[in-house]
Amino acid sequence: MNEQLLFLATFILYIISAFYYFAFLFSKRENLARIGFSFASAGLLIHTIALVLRTFESGHAPFTNMYESLSFLAWSSILAYIIIELKYKIRRAGPYFLLIVIALMALASSPLMPKEATPLIPALQSYWLWLHVSVTLFGEAFFAVAFITSIMHLVADSKKRIRIKSGLSPEKLDSVSYRCIAIGFPLFTLGGLVFGMIWAYYAWGRYWGWDPKETWSLITWFVFALYLHTRIIMGWKGRRSAYVAIIGFLAALFTYFGVNYVLAGLHSYA
Amino acid sequence: MKSLLSFFNSVKLAIFLLVIITLVSILGSFIPQHRNLDEYVARYGQFAHLLNQLQLTKLYQSSWFIALLCLFSLNIIVCTITRLAPKLRKAFHPKLEMEAKEIIALKIKEKFKKNIGLDAAKKELKKELRSRHYRLKEAERENKTFILARKKIMGRFGADVVHIGILIILAGGIISGAGGIRKNLIFSEGKVLGIREAEFKLRLDKFETEYYPNGSVRDWKSTLTVIENEKPILSKVIEVNHPLSYKGFVFYQSNYGWNWTNTSVGIRVRKRKDPSFLRKIEMKVGQRVSLEGENIHISVMHFIPDFIINDRNEVTSRSLQPNNPAAFIEGWEGDEKIISGWIFSKFPDFARIHSEKESDLVFELKNFKADQFSVIQAAKDPGVSFVWAGCAFLMIGLALAFYWPSREIKVILEESQGKTEVIAGGIAYKSREGLQSEFEKIMTSLRRSR
Repeated sequence: MNEQLLFLATFILYIISAFYYFAFLFSKRENLARIGFSFASAGLLIHTIALVLRTFESGHAPFTNMYESLSFLAWSSILAYIIIELKYKIRRAGPYFLLIVIALMALASSPLMPKEATPLIPALQSYWLWLHVSVTLFGEAFFAVAFITSIMHLVADSKKRIRIKSGLSPEKLDSVSYRCIAIGFPLFTLGGLVFGMIWAYYAWGRYWGWDPKETWSLITWFVFALYLHTRIIMGWKGRRSAYVAIIGFLAALFTYFGVNYVLAGLHSYA
Repeated sequence: MKSLLSFFNSVKLAIFLLVIITLVSILGSFIPQHRNLDEYVARYGQFAHLLNQLQLTKLYQSSWFIALLCLFSLNIIVCTITRLAPKLRKAFHPKLEMEAKEIIALKIKEKFKKNIGLDAAKKELKKELRSRHYRLKEAERENKTFILARKKIMGRFGADVVHIGILIILAGGIISGAGGIRKNLIFSEGKVLGIREAEFKLRLDKFETEYYPNGSVRDWKSTLTVIENEKPILSKVIEVNHPLSYKGFVFYQSNYGWNWTNTSVGIRVRKRKDPSFLRKIEMKVGQRVSLEGENIHISVMHFIPDFIINDRNEVTSRSLQPNNPAAFIEGWEGDEKIISGWIFSKFPDFARIHSEKESDLVFELKNFKADQFSVIQAAKDPGVSFVWAGCAFLMIGLALAFYWPSREIKVILEESQGKTEVIAGGIAYKSREGLQSEFEKIMTSLRRSR
């Protein structure tokens, strides 16, 4: 079996899943959402096999270039969504979230992303590569779920004002956003900051150097710290909290993407 | 003093500072840091000097950024201490004799009468609470019994542990900045270098670059020997990600390069019309070697590792890496220079040979050899252990804050005429829904018991 073929199969399964989820959104038939969920789970399974295959083919962790790391982020995002869906039943978030996953997969398969597995440069030859990248991206996947539920909260909240009832209440969406951040924040802190500092110490000889990627992961962390403090201590809820969560995800996105293309630094590989 | 304390005791100040530090960090990420003034002038023109004066060119080390961090630390310290003392008291010396109305005011509560005596009800309640891992405290006054049941008390201190962790990390940063030593040691093979601050010396025994089959670098390896009192103590091969630690110093493979001043070159000479003709010559730059069987001398005048012609039409080296090695050769017949020009190791067909006389000699730059040097970063960072300790606090604190939900159930039992009145309430420090359902289960089983 070929990793590229499995990747394509995964991509198709995610698209079918999104199709069913949107059909559910318009028809309000619950079983369509269940089919969508099954396709997403099947996609996750095939995706997992693809990543394992990639690891064996390349001989290193499957996130050392942009193609690999985008594919891994898509995988983490689906996994995060499935966890949140099973726990909090947020089916209506499914279609929108799958759009993000499809965008990630599309970016990964774009011709701009070189797909060949290249041998690891010296700086990446470390088991910290596994720990640092996987935990960070998994944390960011939960920020992505919170991003979608926060946007849905804003929409649901403004609809409530003109008294149109929709499936998920704004309060529930607000609480799910918080739960996602409560999972994502410790993961991001551990993977992005703590593991990142430890690895930087072994690879570059210092634990912190204000490299743009380091700075931006700290900025992302600050935004989510603000989310938690304004919420828990100052009692912000609803719209204001949702805005902070959205800004936080955008900061995470810039840390992941923007820094590579806009700001040059030591992290220029992926 | 008191107003100063209340100034630093404000969460609003913390949030304000967090926003400011975030914005400033964003600004700093868009201005390249620690460059030459010339580079800033080229980039920002007349604003370069202003940037320099405002220390925006070394923003994260600037006095005002450090002042901001100090303010922030002070804010965290004051907030943590003032909140911690009453929290500790409440956790370890809780008030047991509560008023019924305090419990009634809670969001999770219940009040009912039970047809059994106080002792039986108490026993039942305690059994139920213990089975759910609550720790109990009990007091009695007049005919009332007060029960305080709590679990996962440490969860209440999650945020405080996180804040202490952050303070330790910041302290580590200050110690690193003030007491850290960091310097680059440039070694050629066999060289011994000392560090002023250390009582030992370091020798590079061997430096090698390993390549993958496709030609990209797999690793740089330096064999280092620690020498103390003229005696070798230990040897270790270091590579990227695998430094050597010795007596508080850590040595990293940081860089490498070539010393091009003493390069030797290998050249192949062929004849266009005679395929069997092949001469290999090895020589140092500046040497002159006669070509066997021919009345001609060859010399290599220059070697350039990364050949480029700049915009002033001069030949120069773009870098010190051998990206495009080129040699300038001359061929002499007696006193007469008959051949001169550039040959390139990566582009053999691109040779620019200028001949005075008819000649069918073809020159190829086959190889080159230069001494390699290895750059080892020596670092002594006394702040590092603080940072790791702080990180441990940070993660333990986050785990406590998010995944160790502290719960508290308060009960007053009062006997009257053989019946027991139960007034119970619950306080959830996280996730009220969780406690709500647990509380209901406890109360239901108490009601059903007989």
